[in-house]
Amino acid sequence: MKETKKNILSVENLSYSYQNGDRLQKVLNDVSAKFESGKIYAIVGESGSGKTTFLSLISALDKLQEGDVKFNKKSLRQITGQEFRLKYVNIVFQSYNLIKYMTAAENVEVAMAFDNRKEDPNKYLEKVGITAEEGKRLIGKLSGGQQQRVAIARALASNSPIIMADEPTGNLDEDTEEKIIEIFRDLAHKDNKIVIIVTHSRQVAKKADKVLTLRRGKLS
Amino acid sequence: MFKNMLKRSRLSIKRKLGRTILLTLIFFVMANLVLAAFIVKSAVSAQMDYAKSTLGGTVSLQADMETIRENQKSEMEKGGDPSKMFKEMSRPSVNVETANEIVSTYADYIKDYSYEITVSANSYNMETVETKGPSGNMMNGNMPGTPGMFGNMDSSSDDSTLDSDIIITGTNAYAYVDGVEDGTLTIKEGTYFDEDSIDSVMISYEFAELNSLKVGDTFKIKNIYTEKSIYLTVIGIYDTSSERANANTMYMNTETAAKFFNTEEYNNGNYSVGNVKFYMVNSDYADEFVEKANIEFSELFENNLKFAVDTSEYDSLAGSIESVGSFADTILIIVIIAAIVIITLIVSINVKDRRYEIGVLTSLGASKKNVIGQIATELLIVGTLGFALASVTGTIFATTLGKSIVESQTASSSQQSEQNFGRPGAMMGGSMPDGPGGNNSRGSRTDSFPFMPDGGNMKDIVNASREGKKIELDINAQPIDYILLFATGYLVIILALILPSVSIMHYQPKEILAGKE
Repeated sequence: MKETKKNILSVENLSYSYQNGDRLQKVLNDVSAKFESGKIYAIVGESGSGKTTFLSLISALDKLQEGDVKFNKKSLRQITGQEFRLKYVNIVFQSYNLIKYMTAAENVEVAMAFDNRKEDPNKYLEKVGITAEEGKRLIGKLSGGQQQRVAIARALASNSPIIMADEPTGNLDEDTEEKIIEIFRDLAHKDNKIVIIVTHSRQVAKKADKVLTLRRGKLS
Repeated sequence: MFKNMLKRSRLSIKRKLGRTILLTLIFFVMANLVLAAFIVKSAVSAQMDYAKSTLGGTVSLQADMETIRENQKSEMEKGGDPSKMFKEMSRPSVNVETANEIVSTYADYIKDYSYEITVSANSYNMETVETKGPSGNMMNGNMPGTPGMFGNMDSSSDDSTLDSDIIITGTNAYAYVDGVEDGTLTIKEGTYFDEDSIDSVMISYEFAELNSLKVGDTFKIKNIYTEKSIYLTVIGIYDTSSERANANTMYMNTETAAKFFNTEEYNNGNYSVGNVKFYMVNSDYADEFVEKANIEFSELFENNLKFAVDTSEYDSLAGSIESVGSFADTILIIVIIAAIVIITLIVSINVKDRRYEIGVLTSLGASKKNVIGQIATELLIVGTLGFALASVTGTIFATTLGKSIVESQTASSSQQSEQNFGRPGAMMGGSMPDGPGGNNSRGSRTDSFPFMPDGGNMKDIVNASREGKKIELDINAQPIDYILLFATGYLVIILALILPSVSIMHYQPKEILAGKE
């Protein structure tokens, strides 16, 4: 039985500015959006449009300035960023962000341990096409595509209801990109997660359930 | 979370082997130095305790010359009677019964006590050794310390008019005789006397040669006051290397020596002496003993007597030992500071290197405290390994360190000792202001009469100090040294973690990971 509960991540009137020399540069201007579980969202936009900033804010990697982010009506302002990330979000980065001195399986185990779970990491690695043998290898011994899959497996293992990814296929060849997109689609459609992908890739955008474009600080 | 932290620490230690070995090596070196310093400090402390118990302190009951002089001055200002002034001078003397009472009252404080009687005698028909130098003048009865000088000046006799050519030194504590203490007086034949050796005498080798006396022979000399002949049996023949010694000096126990007093001085055996030395069980007891005895025996003040503390023997050696301890302290402080600085730097560099890992962990939801905990755990594990290895080698290193410190300290204390001991009256046998009575009266506890009361050790230490010999430290690690090593080591780790932890607390995962992106 799949999880059928509808999780909603809502972004309310989010604004964000950078200090650029003497003046403030507004990157996000009163952005509001709603993300539902079971769907994959692609956020596209030109370079410097604020995609990564938007992702950082809704994943609690950065502090909110104006507006709010709520998960099932629980405001990010009510809890710490660390707690929000621990409970609700897992992020997949373009550069994978895996711990180098650990094996693929250990990287997955670490993520599970934050959730106080002890399961076989291979269960998650196999889902993304990493064999048990590959799982025993140190991260440096895996290809870029394999590393990205390990990063996704880690996101899967973390059991977070929201998976965010920042250019997850940026470093991958087309074949691998295809496979990775499929994994993300499965995460949304089969595992009922909210999947938000920031991307430049048309391929990724094409496979998303909803594409949101960031332009001049506004989301449309 | 905690298990996860431990697992990450374990993996980091195992997989980053180069870093682990480097850190272990640093902890190992630091721990060796720290342990060595603690072992040396323990040895110093043990040596200090030993010195305290063996050298103890000496409290002298003697004339309060300051008060006497003040009284004299006041009498003179009043235009007083000179004979009264003379009486004031003659008053300070300690009754042996009082001395015994003090000893029995403060048995817990006093290890031993001594007083000495020096009185003149007439050789009668014996030959005396010709003496030269200042000692020769003593033969006319005006020798310092003659009972006639103190406590007996108002007696009927005047020594200066009497024919005396023998010095009688009576003591129950043979071990405390000056020459015996410093090793200049040795027994050539026979043995030394004890409390029961009534009418037994130790004569000088020269006197024995001159009069063809040998051990077991009996001869007679005269009491210069009563003209009575006293028969003495030679129990031992001594030899002395001291230039100050008078070969006409005879040593015997106090009961025999007292036979050479005049009747009034003898006082039916309850004679008075000018100075009594009390040897403390521990030098720390001296002040407390004086404080209590001053209250209990307050009448001694009225007789112009006072207790004077002398811990010079202990102080002299303690100075050398303490300087070894101070050196160990200095090493300890330097090592700890250096270790904190080095480990702080290494951990800071390590934290910078692991910035990305920290970013990843915090992005996964790890708290910064959890990340600091991981780094601390790694350091504690590696530190424990380094400390454990040092526990094996520390004693060897401590022995080397202890030796080199002692050698350097002995070299400097040797020069100081020479200066100190070169001065007349320094250390044993004369450091105390004896007053006009000098060391004229000594005695020994009667209930136990240790003629060599662990004097062997005491003399060794004193001689070691006096001659600038090596201070022997018993370099052996005690359980407390290991406890202190681990406690200090962990403290160093905690202190070394402060700065890197502050830096971690300021890390923003977004900045770290965005930088990476």
